[in-house]
Amino acid sequence: MWHIAKRELYDNLNSLRFALATVLLLGLMLTNAAVYLHEHPRRTQKYNAAVTESVNDLTVRADSLYTLAREGPGLLYKKPSPLRFCAEGGETFLPNVVGGAFLWSISGGLKGFWRLNYPSTTPNLTDIRPNVTKVDWAFIIGYVLSLIAILFTFDAVSGERELGTLRLMLANPMPRHTVLIGKFLGALISIGIPLTLAVLMNLLLISTSSAVQLGPDAWGRLGIIFIIAVLYTGLFLALGLLVSARVSRSAVSLVILLLIWVTFVVFVPSTLASIAGGFSSPMSTDELWQRRGELYAKRWERYDAYFAERVERSKEIQFKGKHVIAEAEEQERVNEEHLAQQIDQVKFARRTTQISPIAIAQHLIESFAGTGFERHLQFLENTRTHARQFRKFIADTDSGDPESSHIIGIRQGMSEKPVNPAALPKFEDTLNLSQDFNAAMMDLLLLVLLFVVLLSGAYLAFVRVEV
Amino acid sequence: MMTLIRRELLDNLMTFRFAAATFITLLLVVANTFVLITDYERRLASHNEAVKMHQRQLQEKITYSAGEVRVDRPPNPLSIFNVGFDKRLGNEVRISHRVVPSLWDAGMHGSDNPFMDMFASMDIVFIFEVILSLFALIFAYNAFAGEYESGTLRLVLTHPIGRGKILVAKYMSAMLCLIVPLLISLLLAIILLTTSTAISLNSDDFLRIGGIILTSVAYLSVFYLIGLLISAATRRTSTALMLSMFVWGFWVLVYPNVILTVIPRLESPEALRASAFNRIENIWETFDRERKHYLATDDFPGEDWGYDLRGWGSRGANLMGNSQRLLYTYRSVMNFEGFGEKDEPKMPHAQKHFGFLGALTIDAADRTWLIRKPALEEIFIQPADMERIWLKLSPVGLYDAATQAWAGTDLLGVRDFFHAARQYRQSVINYFYDNKVFESRQWFSGDKGAADWSGLPQFVFQRDDINTNAKRALPDVCLLLMINVVLFIVIFLIFVKTEV
Repeated sequence: MWHIAKRELYDNLNSLRFALATVLLLGLMLTNAAVYLHEHPRRTQKYNAAVTESVNDLTVRADSLYTLAREGPGLLYKKPSPLRFCAEGGETFLPNVVGGAFLWSISGGLKGFWRLNYPSTTPNLTDIRPNVTKVDWAFIIGYVLSLIAILFTFDAVSGERELGTLRLMLANPMPRHTVLIGKFLGALISIGIPLTLAVLMNLLLISTSSAVQLGPDAWGRLGIIFIIAVLYTGLFLALGLLVSARVSRSAVSLVILLLIWVTFVVFVPSTLASIAGGFSSPMSTDELWQRRGELYAKRWERYDAYFAERVERSKEIQFKGKHVIAEAEEQERVNEEHLAQQIDQVKFARRTTQISPIAIAQHLIESFAGTGFERHLQFLENTRTHARQFRKFIADTDSGDPESSHIIGIRQGMSEKPVNPAALPKFEDTLNLSQDFNAAMMDLLLLVLLFVVLLSGAYLAFVRVEV
Repeated sequence: MMTLIRRELLDNLMTFRFAAATFITLLLVVANTFVLITDYERRLASHNEAVKMHQRQLQEKITYSAGEVRVDRPPNPLSIFNVGFDKRLGNEVRISHRVVPSLWDAGMHGSDNPFMDMFASMDIVFIFEVILSLFALIFAYNAFAGEYESGTLRLVLTHPIGRGKILVAKYMSAMLCLIVPLLISLLLAIILLTTSTAISLNSDDFLRIGGIILTSVAYLSVFYLIGLLISAATRRTSTALMLSMFVWGFWVLVYPNVILTVIPRLESPEALRASAFNRIENIWETFDRERKHYLATDDFPGEDWGYDLRGWGSRGANLMGNSQRLLYTYRSVMNFEGFGEKDEPKMPHAQKHFGFLGALTIDAADRTWLIRKPALEEIFIQPADMERIWLKLSPVGLYDAATQAWAGTDLLGVRDFFHAARQYRQSVINYFYDNKVFESRQWFSGDKGAADWSGLPQFVFQRDDINTNAKRALPDVCLLLMINVVLFIVIFLIFVKTEV
């Protein structure tokens, strides 16, 4: 088996395609590193500046518990992933901030409490520059590497048959599966060499720069991404072997492979996503505003109805507090609902595209690079957790103040003592590897499954090859 | 000659690659056309809704100063072929005497789920870009190398036919084969388009589609000739194939995506921006001085721009600027529903003042535009155009640019809308002058009859006629054709010198 792998390897190393593949991969990976080193420091700087500003705002508010409770935790920012060079993950279309918005006044001259607000990205309407695709690992692996894999295997069996060397080889006392595995390994290693070289150059460039620090966690993630890349390449190699064994002429084999590649890699993901997206119509922004307006009006009616008759003072404060809190809560629920519908639409579209191996690979790389949609969902979950903690902190602090009458929602009912800014819960947007792993498990299984199916298909096809 | 063409044609038509090419192109084009038509219908519906909403909002305003005329850019039906900037740039703009509207002042309506933008959208030209170039290379790689290897080339050349003729015959027959999937799929796409009730294509649109087809053929031919060149130069099928595939991967997949990250992005010229904004600020400072001077010297005591009117309603005024977009304007809005009795004598003064202010604002806005237009051009348009030139170094970029121009979804096509919006602003101003709107009581108050918006001129945006499209597309089409000719000559020279 190793003999055959070695023979294949030597064959490939001398070929034109090996040289071209090496040049292409090296060029792309170096570009990737250069662009990343140019952009990442700015991104981190921007994030740090924004977070500092947000914390400063919070400290100013902390001079009174009431103000703090009313104006909320401020803007919560998404931490940029240091592994953004692996997968850009459509981050430009995802907002990087969740805000706690509050209203200056709601019904009855009361001041509104903060609620979580999910801004959407505002598209840059004046961007007249041509579209730029980010050259990240996901692009290089997803498109370029898979194409190279096909070009390495399309003639693996059919080419030898045309030359007549297949007959010669099979005349040796060697089981056929050994031959196939040998060919597979040979091709995998010959692609693995330029890939590893390119990846190492890329990482060398990135890790020697002082602007970026990659921790042990990041290296672990990079390792996993590399394994995914190899698995994904193997998948296309197996496909190449399968078609090559089934078809008698290499030219036909290549045409079939290219058609499969173009359809599944280039077209299926976006076409299917658009079709799947058409099945659901989430609440539009106009509807959201309308719903909010209706709720607001109803709240006001209830308020007016309550104060239509005379109420005693203690009850009045209690009602007002509840009123303020309920207003914020129901508005937040609508926001959540709006967001959930949008997310469901995207999730469905993403699930549909998983027919295509490139979509699976890209989702996986995104998950481990800590970018993209799944990561955004994690960020949203983090902000919700923080919001709960924040509210709990307010309630706890308030109940610790003997002068307060513990009616949250209104100034008269709450503590107005200053709060120690250091005691405030801090928002930490964390990247969690085990969480990522869980999210990616499904994709990983799917990828392995596809790989196994294609490889056994190639085996079956090869066993039945007539020489 | 005809025999040769017929032989080649039959050779090509009976192959698996021809069947596969036709089938895949048809499948992709039809599937995507469905998606694209649905998307267009959705955008059109949202456009119509926006137009209605803006009409309604305008009618609700009882004073002229509070009214905001908005115009909306309809989606371009040919964006189905090449979407270009049609979906990306702003599609509604405010028409006001205070600002000369431009692309940089536009807003956007009708994007329901911004997360869905993560998925790339494909238009028909993109499909052709990828598929047709691939097929052209697959058809070409063994045209010479294959015949050379099998020895038939020697056989053919023993006949008393010029080598040029053989080359032409090969080219003609292969192109005929390649055009078949292109034409059939486009025909199906057009049939699908005409079945949709929302899309109405006029005769100019069909000519534009004709332009797109012509450009597609030229693009196809470039890639076929590249394949032929590789085939003639390498003389071995396997090498020719490998080289063709990498050339394809580089020009179609890598180059258009990588080039813009490789070339240094021009920083926008900050000094220019600052100086332009400075001059614009000066205009408005002068404006503000003149405004205050008028208030101080007119025959009404006090300097309040609202003439101490005490009524039911709201008023507000501010000078505001945005240095990023080089925008500056003075906005004063007065929206009264009724007045106390003491206010009546102040009315003529206020009316006169607003008449003066209207003319002054228009003048300042027009002078701002004179500075703003070239500055915007230099800060935003020129760097973007430079980047587009880099993209055009690949046939893919040329093809994309030319088809955008034909479809009218290129930057110039979108900017036509803003040009029309500026003309519309002028006609609104003329209407205001003709009807003495600035001096009217309705400018700031609705107590004696609300503002009458029904007489306002209507905004209609007609896409430019086919001549303009052709003029914009022709340079790129010519470049494509030139590449064709050069490649053909090179191949001819190589082929003539080949020893069999």
